[in-house]
Amino acid sequence: MPRAIRGVLIECEPAIKSIIVHLNSEHNDIIIEDLDESHLVVKENMVHLLKQKLEDRLKETYRPEEPLVDSE
Amino acid sequence: MSAQSYQLSDYLEKLPGTTFRKLYQQPSTAFAIFRRMLPPLAKIFVQGLLYMPAPLLLSQLDIWVKPEGKMSRDRALVILRSLHIINITPPGKDKPQEIHLTTNFKNSLRLALEGGGAHHSFGVPSTLAIDPTIDIAFLDRYARKKWEDILHYVVNSVGGEGSSGGSGAGPKASVKDLLLAGRLVERRGDTKTGIAITQAGFTFLLQEANAQVWTLLLLWLEAVDRSSANNSGLDSIDMLSFLFMLASLELGRAYDTSALTESRRNMLPSLVDFGLIYIPRDTRQYFPTRLATTLTSSASALRSVSSGFAAATADASADVTSIGATESPAKGSVIVETNYRLYAYTSSPLQIAVLALFATLTMRFPGMVTGRLTRDSIRRAISYGITADQIISYLAAHAHEQMARAAAAAGRPVLPPTVVDQIRLWQLENERMRTTAGFLFKDFDSVEEYVALSSYAEEIGVLEWKSDKKGLFFVSKYEQIRDYLKSRKSAK
Repeated sequence: MPRAIRGVLIECEPAIKSIIVHLNSEHNDIIIEDLDESHLVVKENMVHLLKQKLEDRLKETYRPEEPLVDSE
Repeated sequence: MSAQSYQLSDYLEKLPGTTFRKLYQQPSTAFAIFRRMLPPLAKIFVQGLLYMPAPLLLSQLDIWVKPEGKMSRDRALVILRSLHIINITPPGKDKPQEIHLTTNFKNSLRLALEGGGAHHSFGVPSTLAIDPTIDIAFLDRYARKKWEDILHYVVNSVGGEGSSGGSGAGPKASVKDLLLAGRLVERRGDTKTGIAITQAGFTFLLQEANAQVWTLLLLWLEAVDRSSANNSGLDSIDMLSFLFMLASLELGRAYDTSALTESRRNMLPSLVDFGLIYIPRDTRQYFPTRLATTLTSSASALRSVSSGFAAATADASADVTSIGATESPAKGSVIVETNYRLYAYTSSPLQIAVLALFATLTMRFPGMVTGRLTRDSIRRAISYGITADQIISYLAAHAHEQMARAAAAAGRPVLPPTVVDQIRLWQLENERMRTTAGFLFKDFDSVEEYVALSSYAEEIGVLEWKSDKKGLFFVSKYEQIRDYLKSRKSAK
């Protein structure tokens, strides 16, 4: 009998996936199944947290633009 | 995107078969479902089966469909089954599978097509004298005002400068409660009005008016379902079939309230609050508005997605059936420059609030606001669940006529291509991952089982990902696969 597991399929670049795998390695509580280099199944309740953590991680590499001045 | 748009099909799919049997007792319901919910091929099946005296062999149905149409055949059958319109006998060893329409649906649809019967399912026109001032234009204005009040309420919860909403008291408390319960807005202390819009609320705002009405109505039905324990006297099944009935009425005609059952009469005040019907003082008449009569038609309902916001700026879409068409002719108000600056000639709080969703507004003058599209403003909009395409189509639909004229003269698109491309790029940057909720199937007994299930999932259109090598696949819905698995087991 096959098993059906509830989860959320994530499709992303390999670089993003490696970050997710790294985040998972801290507590091992995110990933249900590692499918291939660009797909993962994660726990439904962790998606929000994951997005947040990913955002934080990516912020380190993002430089805000110079604010433009409306002068005229 | 997790942005949910709550739709009629999702709601119906969750109902049990007994509910459908009750619903289909009404010809208007059967007819509305047939008209609104079925893809063309499914309609052909229903029409073919409608006057068939005996069940049809499933294998015979295949003759109707070209071999390459197998996928759409399966999808049509899945939809028909989930709406409990057809029954297919389970596969057995000695008997081939047969297909037939469910009794109630068949009888009701026949009644709807042929007329006859004293079911009052399509409403009873009022015989009383009708106030001549209540014409279609009046009803359109009325429905539009009511609906706009609701939209204003949702938009203003963003906390923009347009504090009053400009159109009076806003929706009734009961409507506000529904919006809260449906999490289109939520209570939050840090805004002026005490409430704030949610991501679902943004998706709601950007929906087509028809979808908006359904979203709200379904929230209402669910609220009634929840409170039915402490008997509010309303029954969501009867309510739903009343809504389908309203949808079959004729715009501009008066109908008799005394022909309605008491529980349906109890629904009238709420329907008035939504703007679906109009009830003149001291009469036993009700008038359906365009919001109600277009509920189950696929024709453009009231206003297109974009013009929904601009109603206050009298930006009517070219669509003659839209409510806006009764107002002044179409006139855009937004200018976008190649340097991402944005000027909008408007004083409508609704439109300004919408612009503030995806642009950084810097200055406000009487009748005009200026702002700029920035990476951060687009990013923020996307985090609310608004897509780049929605923003672009909004800007295009509301482009100032000057922009349209200049573009036409130079043979260029209306919006500067650099801006359009950049908005799309900003979105891509933010879409680091695409998420789909569903179910992972694993640990199959045999390769054969895996192949059978995954190809079935693909046929019915729920397969999201699969790996033949690992023997895994991921689907968005699993009920039908479970049924298929069961019928496979029992066939053995």
